[in-house]
Amino acid sequence: MTPSFQGRVASAVIVPTDCWYAVARSADVTHALTAVRAVGRPVVLFRTSSGEAVALEDRCAHRAYPLSAGTLDGDTIRCGLCGFVYDAGGQCVSVPTQTRVPLGAFVDAYPVRESDGLVWAWFGEPGRARLHRLPELPWLVDATWATVSGRRTVQASFLLLHENFADVTQVPFVAPEISPAVLGSAPPPLEVTVSETSVSLRREFPPARMPSWQSRLAAVPADAEFTTVQEGYLLSPAVWVDYWDVRTSDTTWARLRFTQLVTPIDERASHLMWAVSRDFAVTDNAATSELTATFDDYYSRVLVAMETAQSVIDRDGPGREVNVSADIVGLRIREIVDALLAEEGA
Amino acid sequence: MTETPTTLKEYEADLLVEEVDRAADGVVVITLKHPDGLTLPAWTPGAHIDLVLTDELTRQYSLCSSPSDSIRLQVGVLRAEDSRGGSVFIHDELAVGSTVRVRGPRNHFPLVSSPRYLFIAGGIGVTPMLPMIEEAEAVGADWRLVYGGRSRDSMAFLPALEQYGDKVTLLPRDEVEVTLSKQIGTLLGTPQADTLVYACGPEALLSSVEEACASWPEGALHLERFQGKELDASLDTEFEVVLARSGQTLMVPPGKSIFHAVEDLGIPVLGSCHEGVCGTCETVVLEGEVDHRDVVLSESEKASNETMMVCVSRCRGSRLVIDL
Repeated sequence: MTPSFQGRVASAVIVPTDCWYAVARSADVTHALTAVRAVGRPVVLFRTSSGEAVALEDRCAHRAYPLSAGTLDGDTIRCGLCGFVYDAGGQCVSVPTQTRVPLGAFVDAYPVRESDGLVWAWFGEPGRARLHRLPELPWLVDATWATVSGRRTVQASFLLLHENFADVTQVPFVAPEISPAVLGSAPPPLEVTVSETSVSLRREFPPARMPSWQSRLAAVPADAEFTTVQEGYLLSPAVWVDYWDVRTSDTTWARLRFTQLVTPIDERASHLMWAVSRDFAVTDNAATSELTATFDDYYSRVLVAMETAQSVIDRDGPGREVNVSADIVGLRIREIVDALLAEEGA
Repeated sequence: MTETPTTLKEYEADLLVEEVDRAADGVVVITLKHPDGLTLPAWTPGAHIDLVLTDELTRQYSLCSSPSDSIRLQVGVLRAEDSRGGSVFIHDELAVGSTVRVRGPRNHFPLVSSPRYLFIAGGIGVTPMLPMIEEAEAVGADWRLVYGGRSRDSMAFLPALEQYGDKVTLLPRDEVEVTLSKQIGTLLGTPQADTLVYACGPEALLSSVEEACASWPEGALHLERFQGKELDASLDTEFEVVLARSGQTLMVPPGKSIFHAVEDLGIPVLGSCHEGVCGTCETVVLEGEVDHRDVVLSESEKASNETMMVCVSRCRGSRLVIDL
């Protein structure tokens, strides 16, 4: 079964395609058809009887109709409008009105991989997929961590989202009550590290109290003071990860991992799958439901702000932006994305 | 008002020499990995790294391994007795188990997506072509490598290239009548549609490739140079530099680089080779005319005046505004 790819659904959107994008949680891809839009393409997801996740172009080769509105029969999809049947490689294997399958009757099959509880799909040239690595996010599946997560569609570009994640100075303005106290004080030195395709930042905040929710869950006295080390990583255009480690000189008391999986729908809209993982109060179910609500609220507020910013850009154009030295990370993200687009010939 | 002290650096790590392979006469291929087996930064074909050999000796080498290998990096190094000492140090001092400081990767020779490629390699210039070929092959592009060298014994990676059959043309000077340098005119005489040319090798080869490609479409030719030009500071003049982002103005006197003048102010700026070779310090130019002295930017990029290498390039007039 050779995956077919002709770029027949011409993607007009200008976002990097040579990148593994998270399209679903593994648990959500079952033996049933799920529609998702990613990187300018309609995509249908399902899991075969042998357990393999499959991502196909969600548009019948015969007429404009989503395959996700058809039926999954064994490991084949039957179009709900015309009855064309496609196998898991996207090849049409039968049509109702003639014995021969017409030439060119196939839909694009996107390379898929699964790791860390996520289904990743590749929308670039399929041959290039194996040359690119998947981000490693072990805390999402490791039993010594507990994770709360959510998923939202946001009317804002993936770049706006990454620039926002890279700029945590915004947290106290967007969500003052969950912001660690350390963020409001004088800014600590910012260390930025770059390579060809990645950028990371590191800041060490001077001793301060944990936010009250965190000291309660980590079971430390509310007035105890800890150093907080934040590290942020652009792992690829699909992933921004933040580490928040609360430490004293010899012990790490509490670790948080914020995983932000950003999948562009087009230049102006994105899917965000977020996950907040902790290595404390791991079995505390009350904490899990409390944190789910807290961070769902946090991300919804961030995303409202991003949608507002996008609407300004949509209405009035990109406009003039003044940068400050602390914008190095965000500017570097744009450079990386521009270089990727140039290599792709976009 | 408080200022956020910001430092900017490239990825750096002390990597372990896992393997030293005498790949050809005078050529070693060094395999590097993190001592703890950690994942190394991702890169794309055409990328290079710095090897920081001593305090005074930092050299750039193209990566010749596969970008899909997340824990190993490989470089091929030709022993050049008359060079500035980097390759001799690597040949004589690096052995399995030694540690070497690595910075990068970075890429100023990126493989732009194209249906057809012509790769031209002279000697050790073949190193960046290996990951490029891997990618061209992976996407089913139509490609050809023309690889010249002194003799087969001196040409590295011949076993690895064997699998590609007649897509690879080997031109050892001691065997062939028409050597690579004599074929450049024929190879590049007529611009070919939808074809990108990637060339790496000795300066004489690159100059003749550049000349032969004059009639090719803009952007078709990609070159990688690792040797800087001789810099002549006697024509330096003093000029003013305005740093737009940090809101500061400074004077750059003759004999001092913009890079060092900016660094003296404590403003974060990336740099590595200080010879206009590696491209690390590329900076956006907002106003003023640049006196380009690097070998990274192409002639058209230099003419566009959009960016500059602040380690060597200066100002034609009296004032530059740059995005730092």
